[in-house]
Amino acid sequence: MQHRRLQKLFALSRIPAVLLLLLGSAFAQKPLRWGADPSGGAPYVYNDPSHPDQYVGYEKEIVDALAAAMGRPAEFVPSDWETLVSALQRKSFDVIVNGLEPTADRQKQILFSKPYYIFQLALTVRSDEQQIHSLADCQNRTVGTLGNTAASRLLEKERIPMKGYADPIAAYRDLELKRIDAVIMDVPAEVFYVSKNPKLKRATEPFFRGTYNIGLRKGDESLKSEVDTAIDKITNDGTLETILRKWGLWNDAQLELRTPGKAEQKNTEAGYDITSAVFNWREAIWRLARAAVVTVLIAFGSMVIALVLGMFLAIGQWKGPRVVQWLCTVYVEFFRGTPVLVQLLFLYFGLPTIGLAMPGWLTALIGLGLNYAAYESQVYRAALEAIPRGQWEASYLLGMSPLLAFRRIILPQAFRIALPPMTNDFVSLFKDTSTAYAISVWELATAYRELANASGQFLLLGVAVSLYYLAMSLPMAHLARRLERRLQRRDAIEAVESEVA
Amino acid sequence: MIRVTNLIKNRNGAHILRGVSFEVPPQTVLGIIGGSGSGKTTLLRCLNGLERIDGGVIEADGLRLEPNLSKHEYHRRVNELRRKVGTVFQHLYLFPHLTVLGNVIEAPTHVQQVPRMEAEKEAYQLLESVGLKEKARRYPESLSGGEQQRVAIARALAMHPALLMFDEPTSALDPKRSAGLRSLLRGFVERGHTMVVVSHSIGFLDGLADQLLYMEAGEVIEFGETDQILNSPRDPRTKDFVEQAK
Repeated sequence: MQHRRLQKLFALSRIPAVLLLLLGSAFAQKPLRWGADPSGGAPYVYNDPSHPDQYVGYEKEIVDALAAAMGRPAEFVPSDWETLVSALQRKSFDVIVNGLEPTADRQKQILFSKPYYIFQLALTVRSDEQQIHSLADCQNRTVGTLGNTAASRLLEKERIPMKGYADPIAAYRDLELKRIDAVIMDVPAEVFYVSKNPKLKRATEPFFRGTYNIGLRKGDESLKSEVDTAIDKITNDGTLETILRKWGLWNDAQLELRTPGKAEQKNTEAGYDITSAVFNWREAIWRLARAAVVTVLIAFGSMVIALVLGMFLAIGQWKGPRVVQWLCTVYVEFFRGTPVLVQLLFLYFGLPTIGLAMPGWLTALIGLGLNYAAYESQVYRAALEAIPRGQWEASYLLGMSPLLAFRRIILPQAFRIALPPMTNDFVSLFKDTSTAYAISVWELATAYRELANASGQFLLLGVAVSLYYLAMSLPMAHLARRLERRLQRRDAIEAVESEVA
Repeated sequence: MIRVTNLIKNRNGAHILRGVSFEVPPQTVLGIIGGSGSGKTTLLRCLNGLERIDGGVIEADGLRLEPNLSKHEYHRRVNELRRKVGTVFQHLYLFPHLTVLGNVIEAPTHVQQVPRMEAEKEAYQLLESVGLKEKARRYPESLSGGEQQRVAIARALAMHPALLMFDEPTSALDPKRSAGLRSLLRGFVERGHTMVVVSHSIGFLDGLADQLLYMEAGEVIEFGETDQILNSPRDPRTKDFVEQAK
């Protein structure tokens, strides 16, 4: 009976079912994972100030349009500009869409799709500037720009003094503050940051011509043709123009990319305005809280590794055969003698070349764990060596084996000595999780940089982030102090013992 | 109970014990006297296996310990020896992270696998015999030096050793407490224990030890009945030491 009704239902809903199936197959497609640097990334891709939990940007919209054309869901992987190419190669994502120019050196490393945007460079000066009207006027001035871009290479070629920045906002701020005399930047960023700023103006009309292309891994030819087809589709059906117009980035130069679109779209030109948007503090705090959870997980995970591995290292160095002692010492000296940042970069970018690619958070967790194991082993060793030899002998004379004596008598005492320095290390481990931002782990420091760059609220967000760190590290420091007081009580025991002697 | 024959111990080329021989009959007390560096403590550490011997023989209850045994066999016999010997160190080395009761039951429960209830019952009896039953739940750090020493005695007795060894038991005790310790130890002998007591306090050993052994520079100068050593020593060196100690 029921079976029959189901059959009837199915028959009735056959047409929607087919549609559903089609939709389902679209979602079953592998997602288009794309990487870009959202910190200071406006208007390409950045945190929406009114919804800090979401990313916006004209390139985000372009990717969404491309993904739709390819029948795949888009998945954004926040990354770091400096390491985009390496992150692509280690398969953190499948394409780079971040205003990337197909320079000769990059073409040696990765593939490029056909262009989706033709960009020009804009020279910006302060509104009251009288003397600079072209790049040639900057011969003896300092010009700010982003590192490793077409603009920076142009300045190098023209032998103009240059100051490199990690993101546009910092360059334009320094220009306002008269630290530099001009800024040269790709037009999208210039439109976004300068058009609404009365203190700055264009020194001259945009010049130069370059293209933005999508970066892909070498050998990913099939994805390249898929992406190229999708670019053709959105340029020809007007989707791309709509997006670019919305962001005030449309100009006639883009006509090169496509056949002319519908005429009525021409009067929808409007610059996307960041300064009028109200920063949504509630969402920002919530977003920071989630980043703090990542920080806590990395800190606890790596501490567990450090405690366990550190114990083995300490025992190896202390009682192991000579070879083991030597190996443990090499380990400890290596990890204590090199910066943790370098170790993380090595693990993140170096290991994939031998086929060992881990996600960033896991790399940070393991990297910090390996690093702190070196420190913890020394804490343990000092604590174990602080236990009088008589404690061992007393245990042996009661018939205990070395293992039993260690487990029941030595370790509990050593642990009490080691606890305060261990908690101190834990507090500094908490702070060291911030180094994970170098390998694009989305934790508290990364979230701060990202949100502050998007909103310009460096001061207040900085206070908020500091409060998060303090809320996590202060209880730890408090615990350390309490345990130290207990250790002082232990010193009293030793005083009694020596009195007996 | 224990017989030592021509015991030799060298350390870093120095001769610490140069052929020490003596015998302790069951239920008697041997007092070992001598100045600092005479080798008394090293002798004790050889008897409980903390030092490996370089020559001679230690015999206890049919167990023979000799230097020419294989490492494994030597180790096995040392473990067997330790089951017969209980030691109370000069510095005691109580386990500071365990209560008084915990110190006493640690070895019975974890080495001999005695059930905890049973071990505790016996531990309370032992603590009562040394007058510390009320302090069973305290930590060693909160006890006086004399009380800590009695915890160490109870801890050693919990393993039922036939032979008890003491290294300088009176070094932290005033004369009154020394006398109390002496009668406590005498009681253990009457209940069947044998003892070796290293001390430089002749007053403490007088009335406790049945035999005395006087050592100097790793050699036995004189070994005999306590009365004889104290009142009519044969060797002039023994005579000098005894007179100075008095």
